Amino acid sequence: MTDFRKLVAISLLAGLLGGLLLSVLQHYQTLPLILAAEQFETPSAEHVHDWQPIDGWQRNGFTLLFNGLTGFGFALLISASMYWRDQRGYLYGLGWGLAGYLVFFVSPSLGLSPELPGTESAELHSRQGWWLFTAAATAMGLSGLILTKQRWLQIGGASLLVLPHLIGAPHPEVAHALAPEELQQHFVVLTSINNAIFWLTLGAIAGRLLRKVTF
Amino acid sequence: MKTLTASTAISSAKILPGLCAIVLGLTVVLGLGFLQDSNNYLHNAAHDGRHSAAFPCH
Repeated sequence: MTDFRKLVAISLLAGLLGGLLLSVLQHYQTLPLILAAEQFETPSAEHVHDWQPIDGWQRNGFTLLFNGLTGFGFALLISASMYWRDQRGYLYGLGWGLAGYLVFFVSPSLGLSPELPGTESAELHSRQGWWLFTAAATAMGLSGLILTKQRWLQIGGASLLVLPHLIGAPHPEVAHALAPEELQQHFVVLTSINNAIFWLTLGAIAGRLLRKVTF
Repeated sequence: MKTLTASTAISSAKILPGLCAIVLGLTVVLGLGFLQDSNNYLHNAAHDGRHSAAFPCH
């Protein structure tokens, strides 16, 4: 299992670097939008007593931790895929980073666009279910389309890419958001750019680090 | 020694380490992105990250 330990070490470093970059981007771009949207929310009585990180270093610290750890998790998926296919180097890494961006951000966002706090949505579990199904279908679809040479697997892959969007994401009967529409659109654009930068960087770093080790 | 000839096949020694990495990666990502605790501690700590990564939140 020394190979596993090497994958973990590579992913930890790539994830922390990628997560740090993402946190800096978010701090200057999307956090101001989240804070602005929260001004439109009135805290409900049942939530007001729950612990929350204090605005400032504590809140930003938890976001940094979240980004670093999710970066670690995503980097594990990238480095394991490259390890299995005997690939290394930042160019392959960029390819896997792009795949990750499509699987975990673009495809789910086509149905459930990134939301600011205070947006009325369908029931949480149904959205989480659709999100997971979409990510899984997109991952399998891309594999079938790109990593295989058999025509029937490629057709199956392409169908899997489209399937979640034919089914459609769960949406509330009446859509309602507290924050202005303009703020919401701005948020979608910025998260799309930030996550693209994050995924490509994560892939490139993981790919580059894979060159440093021998399996 | 067993050798695999197909170029797309994964050598058998590589299956387990890669699988462990995938399982660990998915556990970390899905745990951080999706778990809801009754006290909302995890949700509130992960709040801004979840919104910005387009995980369904709230």
